[in-house]
Amino acid sequence: MIQFVRDNMAPLMFAGLVVFMLIGYPAAFSLAAVGLFFAFFGIQYGLIGSDFLGNLTYQLYGIISNDLLLAIPFFTFMGAILERCGLAEDLLDSIGQLFGPVRGGLSYAVIFVGAILGAITGTVAASVIAMGVISVPVMMKYGYSTRHTMGVIAASGTITQLIPPSLVLVVLADQLGRSVGDMYAGAIGPSIIQVALFCAWVAIVSLLWPKEVPALPLEARTLSGWPLFKKSMRGIIPSLGLIFLVLGTIFMGLATPTEAGAMGAVGSLALAAFNRTLTGPLVYQGMATTMRITAMVVYILIGARTFSLVFQGVGGKVWIETMLTSLPGGTVGFLVFVNIFVFVIAFFLDFFEIAFIIIPLLAPAADKLGIDLIWFGVLICANIQTSFMHPPFGFALFYLRSIAPPSVKTSDIYWGAIPWVFLQVILVVILIFWPQSVTYWIEQTKTVNPNTIKIDIPELDTPLPPLDFGEPPARK
Amino acid sequence: MGGQRLRGRAGIRDPVKKGERGGISPVAEGKIVDALLRFTRAIDSMNEKFGVIATWLVLLACLLSAGNAAVRYGINEFLVLGQDFAFLHALTTGIGWYGNNANAFLEAQWYMFTGMVLLGGPYTLKVNEHVRVDLFYGMVSDRTRIWIDLIGTILFLLPICIILIYFTWPWFLESWRIDEQSSNAGGLVRWPVKLLLPVGFALMALQGVSELIKRCAALGGRYRLEYTYEKPLQ
Repeated sequence: MIQFVRDNMAPLMFAGLVVFMLIGYPAAFSLAAVGLFFAFFGIQYGLIGSDFLGNLTYQLYGIISNDLLLAIPFFTFMGAILERCGLAEDLLDSIGQLFGPVRGGLSYAVIFVGAILGAITGTVAASVIAMGVISVPVMMKYGYSTRHTMGVIAASGTITQLIPPSLVLVVLADQLGRSVGDMYAGAIGPSIIQVALFCAWVAIVSLLWPKEVPALPLEARTLSGWPLFKKSMRGIIPSLGLIFLVLGTIFMGLATPTEAGAMGAVGSLALAAFNRTLTGPLVYQGMATTMRITAMVVYILIGARTFSLVFQGVGGKVWIETMLTSLPGGTVGFLVFVNIFVFVIAFFLDFFEIAFIIIPLLAPAADKLGIDLIWFGVLICANIQTSFMHPPFGFALFYLRSIAPPSVKTSDIYWGAIPWVFLQVILVVILIFWPQSVTYWIEQTKTVNPNTIKIDIPELDTPLPPLDFGEPPARK
Repeated sequence: MGGQRLRGRAGIRDPVKKGERGGISPVAEGKIVDALLRFTRAIDSMNEKFGVIATWLVLLACLLSAGNAAVRYGINEFLVLGQDFAFLHALTTGIGWYGNNANAFLEAQWYMFTGMVLLGGPYTLKVNEHVRVDLFYGMVSDRTRIWIDLIGTILFLLPICIILIYFTWPWFLESWRIDEQSSNAGGLVRWPVKLLLPVGFALMALQGVSELIKRCAALGGRYRLEYTYEKPLQ
C-alpha cells in the first residue's frame, strides 16, 4: 500500500485536486489545501525534503512583485467604468442605424460593437452587460427572434476574450513565459476570422430564416445623413482614441501592457467625465468590484502556486509530460486532446483557474513537442472563450439572464447560445490546422529581428597598456 | 455588483427552545453566542476598513501607473523645452527629482497591488466572493452549504493561513533586521511589503474564524447569513 502511494503520488495528487475542488469550498483555499495535504505525505514518504515548503515564500514574492499581474486590476477597472459610461449606447445606436436597412442589420451592429468594445477593454462582463441592456429591448421590439438575439449578444460579448487587449491573453502570456505584445499580435488574425465567422452565420440565418432577423422598418430609422454621421463619430472617435491609448502604445513599444491598462482606465474615466456620466458612486463601485476580483484572482494564483510547487516536487510535471508527449498523432493529436480537455474542463472551472492550474501543466509538454507557445496560447484562449457561452454554466449567459426581461425564458438563452458555441469550435479547428493565421501578424509587427542585429565594436587604435599591479605586498 | 444580495440583519434570533441541548442552560448559551457574535462583528468591521483601504489602492495604483508611463515618455520633450523657456525650469527640476526617484514610484505600484490583494482578500471572503467550483455546491441545500463552509474553513483555510504566516513572518523579521533595501537604485525599503504578507494571512485567518462562528450560529438558528454565494463577474 505504502509502496503504491509512493509510486503514484502524482496521479493521486491530481485525483485529490479534483476531489478537493468538487467539494465547493473557495477554489483558492482548496488548491492550497491539496498542496499542503500532499506535501505532508511527500515529506512522510521522503519524496520531498522537510524544508521544501520554504520555497513558498519565494513563490509568494514572485506573485506580488509581478508587474504584469497589475494589469488585472487595471483592465478590470477600465471595464467597470466603460460598462456604464455611455460609450456602448452611442456606438450601438449609430451603428444599428447604419446597418438597419439590411436583414440582420442589428445583429451585425452587435457583432461590430462587440469587436470595438473588445479592442478597448479586456473584460467580458463589461461588453455583455452594456450591449445586452441596450440591444435586447430594441432587437425584440423589431421582431428578432429571442434565441437569435440572446445568442448574438452573448457571443459578441465574449469576442473581448480574444481581441487584444484581452486580460486572458495577458495572464496566458505570463503563464507561458511569452511576451504580451507577441501574444496580442498573434491574436489579431484569429479575431478577424472570428468576426468574419459570426457575420457569415448572421448572413446564413438571414438567407435561410429571414423572419428571425428582419430589417428595421422605415419609421425606426430616425437618423440619416449628417445627424447619423455626427452620432456615429461621437461613438467612434473616443473609441479609436482609447484603442490607440491602450493597444497603440503597446504595439509601438511605448508602454508595458500594465501601463497601457492604467492609461486606458484613466482614459475611460475621462470619457465618462466627457459624457457626464462620471459620478462618485460609479467610480467607487468600479474600484470596489475591481478590488474584490483582484483579491479573488490572486488568491487563486497563490493556491495554484502552492499546488504546483508540491505537484512538481512529487514528480507531477514529469508524469504529465510523459503522458502528454506519448499521445498518438504527434503534435496534432496532442492539440486535439488538449483542446477537448480544456473544452470539457471549462464547464467546471473558470478562466483564471484554468490559466493558473491547467496551463502550467500543459505548457512544458507543448514546448517539448516543438509547438509555438504563442500559437498554443491563442488557441487555448479561443477555446476558453467557449466556456463563457456553454450552457448551463457560461458566464456570459449568467450576465444575460440578469439583464434580460423576465419574458425571456432561460431555455431560450441556452438554445440561442448553441450555434455560436459551434462557431467557436470551428474557429479552434481552423487555428489548429492553419497556424499561420496566428503567426502571420507576429512577423508583421516584429520590425527588428534580434538574430540579424550585428554589433560592431571598433578596434582600438592603441593597445591597452599592460596590467601592472606591482609587487605583492610583503607578508609580515 | 449584482446588488441583489440578501441583506438580512445580523443577529436575528429565534426563540431558544428549552431542553434541546443538555448541559448548558439556554440562557447561558445565548450569552455565549452573543459574545461570539460581537467578536465576529469586531473582526468584520476591522476587515471592512482594510477593504476600504484596498479599494482606494485600486485608483491610486492606476493613477500612479498611468502617471509613470506618461511622465517617462514625455520627459525628453519637457527637458528640451526647459532649455529654451525659463519658466519651465521649475518643471525640469521636478522631472529631475522624479528621475531620481523613478524606481520608488515604479515599486510603489506593486506595493499597492500587494495591499489590494492581501488587505482586500479577507473582505472578499466576508462577502463570499472567492470563486468556487459550484457543480456540487450549486445543487445542495443551504444547510449542506454551511457544513461545506465549516469543514472547508477548519481543514483548508485556517491551516493554510497558519502555515503561510509561519513561513512569511521570519522572512519579514529578517528583512526588518537587516533593513533590506530594494536592489534598484532609489527603490523602496522592502520590509513593509514583506510585512503585508503575514498580516494579510492573519487577517484572512481571523475572517475565517468569524465566518466559522457565524455559520455555527446559523446552524443553531441564531444568525442569518448575510451573503449568499454568487459567481463573481469577470
